[in-house]
Amino acid sequence: MTAAAFATPRRVRTDSLVTWLLIAPAMLVLAGFYLYPTGYAAWISLTDLSFLHLRQGGDFIGLENYRSVLGSAAFWRVMWRTAFWLTAVSVAVRIVLGLALALLIESATIRRYRLRTVLRLALLVPWATPHIVAVFIWRWLLDPQVGTINKALVATGVLQQPHAFLADTSTVWAAIITIIVWNSLPIATVSFIAALQSVPRDLQEAAALDGAGRIAVFRNVTLPHIMPTVAIISMLLVFWTFNNFVYVWLTTGAGPGRYTDVLATDVYMRGFVDFQLGASATIGMIMAATLALFGVIYTRLLARRALAERL
Amino acid sequence: MKSAWSDAALVLAALLTLLFLVYPVVVVFTGSVQSSATLFSGTAFSFTFDNYGRIFESGFARFLSNSLFICLTAVVCATALSVAAAYAFSRRPRFPLRRLLLGAVLAGQLFPWIVLVTPLFILFARLGLTNSYGGIIFCYTAIAIPFSLYMLLGYLESIPRELDEAAAIDGCSALGVLWRVVLPLMIPGVVATATYAFLLCWTEFLFALAFLTRAGLKTLPLGLAGFFGEDTVDWGAVMAGSAITTLPALLLFLPLQSRLAEGLTAGAVKQ
Repeated sequence: MTAAAFATPRRVRTDSLVTWLLIAPAMLVLAGFYLYPTGYAAWISLTDLSFLHLRQGGDFIGLENYRSVLGSAAFWRVMWRTAFWLTAVSVAVRIVLGLALALLIESATIRRYRLRTVLRLALLVPWATPHIVAVFIWRWLLDPQVGTINKALVATGVLQQPHAFLADTSTVWAAIITIIVWNSLPIATVSFIAALQSVPRDLQEAAALDGAGRIAVFRNVTLPHIMPTVAIISMLLVFWTFNNFVYVWLTTGAGPGRYTDVLATDVYMRGFVDFQLGASATIGMIMAATLALFGVIYTRLLARRALAERL
Repeated sequence: MKSAWSDAALVLAALLTLLFLVYPVVVVFTGSVQSSATLFSGTAFSFTFDNYGRIFESGFARFLSNSLFICLTAVVCATALSVAAAYAFSRRPRFPLRRLLLGAVLAGQLFPWIVLVTPLFILFARLGLTNSYGGIIFCYTAIAIPFSLYMLLGYLESIPRELDEAAAIDGCSALGVLWRVVLPLMIPGVVATATYAFLLCWTEFLFALAFLTRAGLKTLPLGLAGFFGEDTVDWGAVMAGSAITTLPALLLFLPLQSRLAEGLTAGAVKQ
């Protein structure tokens, strides 16, 4: 028997009123922060609004911003960098390394040498480090004059002279990806460890008894079992990384030149450096639409398949 | 013989991983108490609090107090609003729009913040909220609500509904049930959620960068970024400032992490 069974019509009415009163404040804040500005950005993207004429407002120019942005080769280079270097490569590295590290930590050898707890505690250190601090530490480590990495590489003879990793176009992406991987590898690893621990031991043992090698057990028993976790973590990492402004902005400021300019830094610079609010909002809308499209396709295709396999 | 070699390889991999994970943070804390001269040469270690003294002389205390005030206020607001909303979502499963609203909250969690910066800047400029505590507290409250709501929803599900129902039958109003019965039981959950919300605000950079340009209002992350000059970087100051920013994060994060790992795959936590 539930409380509702005792409810009179009047009680029900005050009940739903109370429900709305409890929910409304949070929803109003969210609407004011997410919904209204997004709608407003959609409107700005159809105007030629500039910072210098904020008071007069911009003129409605239809889809002109979208035409010029989507028609420019520079925009597509930015899109490619964001999708490939910033997102695809860094997520793939984190998934592969995260899985490898999770397997390492859960392996019998590491348990035997009592390294498991130490490693799991060490994982918390980069995870707890704020993004901004992660960037600053690595800028120090990678610095050509004072950085430890350059000193070590020169001392061991790998490099003849110190290398400015962040100023060279051939190394700058590797450096940014290293920073991102360091900071958020733990989030993937910890999730994979949890998934690995939930793989039924008897299934693995049965497969091993039937003559499956360690690799076969991993491929046919362990991997299918942890795939849903891999799929969800991959998606979360894609969203977080694709949207991320701090890593690139604080590491290189989109440089050298504009070599590491990604969508998030482009939105910021067009708005707050070039003062073209219309174009800035246009790129922001394209960015949000790209992510939404990715989310829909990804959840439809991959996550559903991964879940179906598990059931 | 073969297994001895593979054991050695695995242990070596583990030790290298350990170095990779921990060394950068060790550098920050040791570098922060090292004099600039030895920091650069890397030879002798001479202990000093000069770096800390220098940053506090140049106004770091102001950044610290701004950050504390802004984050604590935002966390209190976000947690209060989220407790109320999560309670209603949890205990009234059949009210209309429930699924739509919860879905929208989750989507907000994955939404690119950078898209909001320009329109919010214009709105704030019109309302006089740029360079104000009010504007940034509003932003931080809003970014903390989505995952707070989801985390609290998880905690509420673990509190038996029979308790509320018993209280309701005894004549307790809906708000009375929340205040007298449910809230006392979910205090650990509220503390964990609020701690995580605090860390999110404590390290936020983008909105602070866009909306706080006056020196007296800047937060810790902005103050830290300010140590990077046009051509020179005061590394000693960067290390000391980074240590001050990271220490509370490390201390608050340790007791939290097991709860976070649970909620993570449910999409309940923003990185």
